[in-house]
Amino acid sequence: MPARKSSGEMRDVIIVGGGHNGLVTAFYLAKAGFKPLVLERRAQVGGAAITEEFHSGFRCSTLAHNAGPLRADIVRDMQLEKHGLKFTTPEVNTVSLLPDGRALVLYSDAKRAAGEIAQWSQKDAASYADFGAALGKIGKVIGEALALTPPNIDSPSSGDLWGMLKTGRSIRNLGKKDLYRVLRWGPMAAADLVAEFFDTEPLRATIAARGIFGTFLGPWSAGSALVLLLRAAADPSPAGSIQFPAGGTGAITQAMAAAARQAGVEIRTDAEIAEIRVKDGVATGVVLASGEEISARAVVSNADPKRTLMRLVDPAHLSPDFIQKIKNYRCMGTAAKVNLALSALPEFTALKGKSDGLLRGRIQISPEIDYLERAFDESKYGNFSRQPYLEMTIPSLADPSLAPAGQHVMSVYMQYAPYTLKNSDWESQRKALGETVVKAMAQYAPNLPQVILRHQIITPKDLEETYGLTGGHIFHGELALDQFFTMRPLLDWARYGTPIERLYLCGSGTHPGTGLTGGSGANAAREIAKALKK
Amino acid sequence: MPAISSSSKYDVIVIGGGHNGLTNAAYLAKAGKKVLVLERRHILGGAACTEEVFPGFKFSVCSYVVSLLRPEIIRDLDLPRHGLEILPLDGTFTPMPNGDHLWRVNDHGKTHREIARHSRVDAEAYDEFGKAMQAMCRFVKPILGMIPPDPATLNPKELMKLLFIGRRFQGMSSEDKYNQVQLMTMSAIDFLDQWFETDVLKATMSASGIIGTFLGVRSPGTAYVLLHHYMGEIDGAFRAWGFARGGTGAISNAIADAAREAGVEIRTEAPIAQIMVKNGRTNGVVLANGDEIYADVVSSSVDPRLTFTKMIEPGNLPDEFMEGVKRYKFRGSSGKVNMALDGLPNFKCMPGVGAHLRGAMSISPSVEYMEKAYDEAKYGHWSSHPYIDMVIPTLTDTSLAPPGKHILSCFVQYAPYKLAPGLDWDTEKEKFGDNVVNTIAEYAPNIKDIILHRQVVTPLDLERTWGLTEGNIFQGELSLEQLFFLRPVAGWAQFRSPIKNLYMCGSATHPGGGIMGAPGRLAALEILKDGAA
Repeated sequence: MPARKSSGEMRDVIIVGGGHNGLVTAFYLAKAGFKPLVLERRAQVGGAAITEEFHSGFRCSTLAHNAGPLRADIVRDMQLEKHGLKFTTPEVNTVSLLPDGRALVLYSDAKRAAGEIAQWSQKDAASYADFGAALGKIGKVIGEALALTPPNIDSPSSGDLWGMLKTGRSIRNLGKKDLYRVLRWGPMAAADLVAEFFDTEPLRATIAARGIFGTFLGPWSAGSALVLLLRAAADPSPAGSIQFPAGGTGAITQAMAAAARQAGVEIRTDAEIAEIRVKDGVATGVVLASGEEISARAVVSNADPKRTLMRLVDPAHLSPDFIQKIKNYRCMGTAAKVNLALSALPEFTALKGKSDGLLRGRIQISPEIDYLERAFDESKYGNFSRQPYLEMTIPSLADPSLAPAGQHVMSVYMQYAPYTLKNSDWESQRKALGETVVKAMAQYAPNLPQVILRHQIITPKDLEETYGLTGGHIFHGELALDQFFTMRPLLDWARYGTPIERLYLCGSGTHPGTGLTGGSGANAAREIAKALKK
Repeated sequence: MPAISSSSKYDVIVIGGGHNGLTNAAYLAKAGKKVLVLERRHILGGAACTEEVFPGFKFSVCSYVVSLLRPEIIRDLDLPRHGLEILPLDGTFTPMPNGDHLWRVNDHGKTHREIARHSRVDAEAYDEFGKAMQAMCRFVKPILGMIPPDPATLNPKELMKLLFIGRRFQGMSSEDKYNQVQLMTMSAIDFLDQWFETDVLKATMSASGIIGTFLGVRSPGTAYVLLHHYMGEIDGAFRAWGFARGGTGAISNAIADAAREAGVEIRTEAPIAQIMVKNGRTNGVVLANGDEIYADVVSSSVDPRLTFTKMIEPGNLPDEFMEGVKRYKFRGSSGKVNMALDGLPNFKCMPGVGAHLRGAMSISPSVEYMEKAYDEAKYGHWSSHPYIDMVIPTLTDTSLAPPGKHILSCFVQYAPYKLAPGLDWDTEKEKFGDNVVNTIAEYAPNIKDIILHRQVVTPLDLERTWGLTEGNIFQGELSLEQLFFLRPVAGWAQFRSPIKNLYMCGSATHPGGGIMGAPGRLAALEILKDGAA
């Protein structure tokens, strides 16, 4: 018996981290007859899907501000509506602002969107429908692959083969044209992909932006089309749909926690894990920062691969070769977040006199491909973009409960903010980052600076330190051709297991690992249940 | 195989007398076909040509080193007997602004000590890296010699080919698999970062990942091109580069010689106006002068845009195919500056005449330098601080210049074909040349005093004079979505076209560019298999 105090009892499955994937895994494991214990470092569960009060009376989705969208089967199985989750989908999907005072409006309804685009280009209006259709068709097939556990390349099991066969068949059913599209589009640059469909520059840029969101890629980087397709798999609407949960994205994880508890999951917050215990190559439990030890049959980590395998596990338990590969797993974040408490709505020059309905969707500053690429260029050399790509939402329009009457909260994603700054650090650049974002927005909404009551500035360093995202990467690791499907996080280790027996991964650093979908958590639970029942 | 139709004068007409067209013709003639090669210019070789641009100075105007030429072609066509002689090009010398340098040579010990001077760790890693790359090459090589399968059919033969690749992949050690996957998908720098810490080493090595592409060393997909160039092989030794005695034109001439010996008829200054198409089948070509020449098969070594949009009347091809042709990316990104010198460049960081001048000299001082060069090109400007790959062939082959005089051949990137609004290559041409000289002068100041003549070749020149669309030296970018069964058009990677008996045999087909000859050879094998001629 080790010296440290131990809660003595032997737990069933411990889940490290109560992010959305951890909660999804816990839920499905409970359904499979296990007794999962979720240990969350922070005072509330939710990971990157949380709603917090950042200024008295003002609450906001601190990080992720748009639902995944969640995989439909997960919403159904967990009965999230029953647990209080309510989505609203704004009529306006995206408003893309241009420096010349114009704005491109994309409505959620495809027909209406086409009508609006027709004012820019008849041809593009038609292509918009085609593009959506193509994404829908291809997305469906990719979606199947995403729901699959990546096959074992060395010796595919019969299950693997069956799954691949099924996907294989639906891939064939795509027909030659769309099959070739999948093969061609994957490695392409998002800029080239949109150029194949559209002439209107702001439309190209607004859609291509989806391929760079959260990644260390520019629209001209090969492979950014893959990111776009991965996200389209969950959501074929060209610019990406937008859904606001009443109460912010925290409401999603609160509902998940409720569902998990009801299924028999135990959740402990303020329970930071200092170490994952390993004995003779087998995970035996965890040691909390408090020194408390909890032993368990299996440990599942919702934390990213680097944090799990390089920090929580003593490297002595892993081969140097494996550690080298995990070191090389690319996990450098590029996104920062600025949340604003506003005394009044910003007045966007481009939308003067128009209804505030136009502000209820996503508001984007991505006027042209080269603008986005230039923003990216700066980050390559360790500077944050002076003319950044911004994705903004004003959730308090759809959900007044988030701010005092007549006042608003604004949630702003900023790119590019590279995790490593050249001869500087984020603590000294925090203020400058906030000013840059506000300045960029003020070019489009001159009154903004006067209506700001408070900024909450979240740098990549904060993402790492406060929210546990290594490298500040919002996807737990770069979404790239070499870190995807059978290679996420590593070739030979894409099936939610690790070289340490009874230690599993269930976070976004595993396949499919895109945004707030719950896919990784659900896939992992399936594999873990199978393995533990052996 | 059907009897040769008597109505036609030739079995096969090959469009273009570049190294692929000539290789294609030679293989067909050796199989007993009556072949005619039609070349637009007054000389053969396409981009593999030697021209006496200034009296007494014979430039390898475009392509300037050889490495990828397939050994089976050298063998089958008995090229040495036809005058092909490859002279070794030893080492890569990278001068650095701080007065230091990096000089890698074929001598393992020397290179090891040199790299260790910069980093002991890297010196060790360098050997490991070499081994790993050779394993990768072994995996990819058979694919280079393979007709790309069509993944969209259910034809068992095609699927077997895919299976073959799959099996080879499975056959690799998990280490090699890991490398292979990364190599196919990563950026050259992301890939090299995993092996090395010395910036100048990574910068110089990454250079071969961007040659001829409109990508930067940090762009995903460039690691593969790195391999593509690593694959170079002379006498079975990987990564060996060399000069052809008499310039790269000598390679084309040797192939032409072999072709003639096999009975091929070759006509120069015979530009093609049109490829004749009758009920979905070609039956010959019309020359610019109006002559009609009939053949059972037409095999085009020029790129798909020229072949299908310039040489074929609209309406003869399905829209979907034409969309593919329209989409096929060229985007030339490089130029050449060839100089006649009165002496030799004198490098600040290594003064005097030495062996370092006999190999390649690379202006690639840092990763940031390389990436910034790309950034400028993205927005339509030639790089103010370009990547330059220089060689002085006259130190190895004195026949190219008058006694005591030399030739400096500079490959320069980036020179984007499409310049920013308001700029055009005819006015930028000499400024571009001046900038190259100034860049070299930063490392070898005496260069300015020893230039006798200078020839600047812009992407626009490559298009106008050599028929390389948008000045792409590989007849189309070597980017992942344009390789293997996607090159040049998805579904049409097997050298055939929607028009019966019209084939493609140029660098725009698998396995792509470089003086390789593989496309010409593979296309010939397919033509013979079809018994089309």
